[in-house]
Amino acid sequence: MSGPAALGVLEGERPVPACERAEVLVSRPLSDRYRLLRFRSPVIAERARAGQFVMLAPVTESGPVLPRPMAIYTRDAAAGVVDIVYGVVGAGTTALSAVAAGETVVVTGPLGRGFAIHDDTERVLLLGRGVGICAMTTVAQDLADTPVRVAAVLSGRHDASIIGADVLRACRADVRRVTDADGTSGVPAVRERLHRAFDVDPPQQILTSGSERLTRLAAQLAARWRATAQVSIEAHMACGLGYCHGCAAGDGDGTREAPLVCRDGPVFRLRT
Amino acid sequence: MTTRIVDAPRGREPATPSRPPADLRVELGGLALANPVMPASGCFGPELADLMPVDVLGAVVTKTVFATARPGNRTHRITEVSHGMLNSVGIPSQGAAEFRRSGLGGYAALGAPVVVSIGGLSTAEYWRVADELAGAGHAALEVNVSCPNLERGGATLDTDPRAMSEVVAGVVARSSTPVLVKLSPQLQTIGDAAKAAADAGASAVTVCNSFPGLAVNPARREPELGNGTGGVSGPAVKPLALRLVWLAAQAVDIPVVGCGGIRSAADVAEFLVAGATAVQVGTATFAQPALMARIVAELPALAARLGVDRLADLIATLTTRPKEQP
Ligand SMILES: Cc1cc2nc3c(=O)[nH]c(=O)nc-3n(C[C@H](O)[C@H](O)[C@H](O)COP(=O)(O)OP(=O)(O)OC[C@H]3O[C@@H](n4cnc5c(N)ncnc54)[C@H](O)[C@@H]3O)c2cc1C
Ligand SMILES: Cc1cc2nc3c(=O)[nH]c(=O)nc-3n(C[C@H](O)[C@H](O)[C@H](O)COP(=O)(O)O)c2cc1C
Ligand code: FES
Repeated sequence: MSGPAALGVLEGERPVPACERAEVLVSRPLSDRYRLLRFRSPVIAERARAGQFVMLAPVTESGPVLPRPMAIYTRDAAAGVVDIVYGVVGAGTTALSAVAAGETVVVTGPLGRGFAIHDDTERVLLLGRGVGICAMTTVAQDLADTPVRVAAVLSGRHDASIIGADVLRACRADVRRVTDADGTSGVPAVRERLHRAFDVDPPQQILTSGSERLTRLAAQLAARWRATAQVSIEAHMACGLGYCHGCAAGDGDGTREAPLVCRDGPVFRLRT
Repeated sequence: MTTRIVDAPRGREPATPSRPPADLRVELGGLALANPVMPASGCFGPELADLMPVDVLGAVVTKTVFATARPGNRTHRITEVSHGMLNSVGIPSQGAAEFRRSGLGGYAALGAPVVVSIGGLSTAEYWRVADELAGAGHAALEVNVSCPNLERGGATLDTDPRAMSEVVAGVVARSSTPVLVKLSPQLQTIGDAAKAAADAGASAVTVCNSFPGLAVNPARREPELGNGTGGVSGPAVKPLALRLVWLAAQAVDIPVVGCGGIRSAADVAEFLVAGATAVQVGTATFAQPALMARIVAELPALAARLGVDRLADLIATLTTRPKEQP
């Protein structure tokens, strides 16, 4: 992650969140490393802007005490459902993986400030690694029926650990996969490939999530192409709303606290 | 079916025909509360008004306010631990004057009495915050004596009852509202600290703040939190806090506000029976933002189940006295 000094707070409205006991409709593996959870929430599905997140907790007496922040992977306002995708990492996500379809989760959302797409943008480049891609799929959802062209570089350890390619393609995005396994995910190789692909007709906006190295690359590419860059970052959270001050994006400047990731982010302008 | 708990039931549940609805009111050292449920400092903000009816609460409590602006601690500031959480947020603050100008109004608009939590790194700083807030319209102050005190090598005030008395007496002298003193659980004898607070003029004591703790990342050979240690809260601390409430309530005549691990109406009953007059809910709100409103709605049924017409009749009804000295 780039240092906090490089982050700028975006403007833009945040919809009023709701808190619901939502029925889980689908809970299943998506690949060897990730799982999909679909829950019913017409309110969140309708209100969520691209890049926003929810706070999610299973309803158990003995489970985790804190809810976990999860990016909204896709939302379908017509069907009233929201999908999230997560890796099973620790106690929180292990408890989530035990929730079966038909059970309920406590969900609060939509939360935070999402990605801002400028009116005059004609082309957007998404740079995502691993589960970080989940923060950006909603951008492609929003742009699917517009003239804005979306290109995406999806990075992962190996082919099966790349998620989102199908969702992005369904939104007419131009998808490139790069992996550690085939040696294509190194930053110099990705940089070279993107120069070749986009120097002639570069994107006006670069959006990134999931990797500090890709974040630095996004800043470099933005400088080269005179584009703007935005990054979605993570922080440990408790409330997700802005009152617990658990999620500062850095260590502050002596008297002033750094921006709060849940309230001022999770998407920030990357100063280039 | 999605059940919305956004619109958590307001007010009281229907009473059984044979009994009038229970009286939920409690009296907290000159402060009349509609019911005993309020949030714990740092675990609540006006943001929650989007997610629950906030005006059903007995009171609301602000995050601790310092005299001058502070950035708070390094990250990570919070993490999950066994049946609880560990936090070292470090109390970032906008400073008392700015809080009075731009922060307090958000709480005042919620429709419940406002308790402002105040802190300081020195005796003079506590007094300055009390001065800055004089006449600001809040219902009470809560003095957070668990802040590191720079005049005392960073030790918290409550490890020295005399120093704490000086702070509390000064705040009481500067304040026209009731003053609560929130004790830390680190004390050898909670009873002595509660007595010192009462003698200095406190209207009530809150028992207690979070418990000092450590979470370790063995792979990195580092503490999980940027500050090293932090405070443990949540279900793990409930029996620890209950014991301290019991001991404190034996030691003083002023009311005790119970705090630590509460997440249900049944937990509220346990604290009242142990000696608390009111309760604060902290960590549990994070996973269930509308929880406090649900607890308030369940209180009449709780009173009926326990056979009392007035919820206050539960206070300090534990039949056994502590064998330990309070
Ligand atoms: C805005 C936002 C969106 C997120 N979206 C996703 C997503 O779409 N898919 C996904 O798999 N994960 C996502 N995460 C991370 C997720 O919340 C989990 O915390 C993380 O996957 C760790 O898993 P765990 O909770 O099982 O770990 P545990 O070991 O149970 O976590 C221990 C503690 O550390 C905190 N923690 C550990 N790692 C992280 C992390 N990376 N980010 C925040 N807190 C952490 C936990 O909240 C908890 O308090 C997101 C985080 C944020 C802040
Ligand atoms: C994130 C967080 C922030 C807190 N901030 C404060 C604070 O500013 N002032 C204070 O007196 N107590 C603070 N506390 C302590 C709580 O008010 C409460 O005493 C403690 O968490 C125990 O209650 P619980 O188990 O219900 O959370 C904080 C606790 C948490 C978890
Ligand atoms: S998670 Fe509580 S302020 Fe951001």
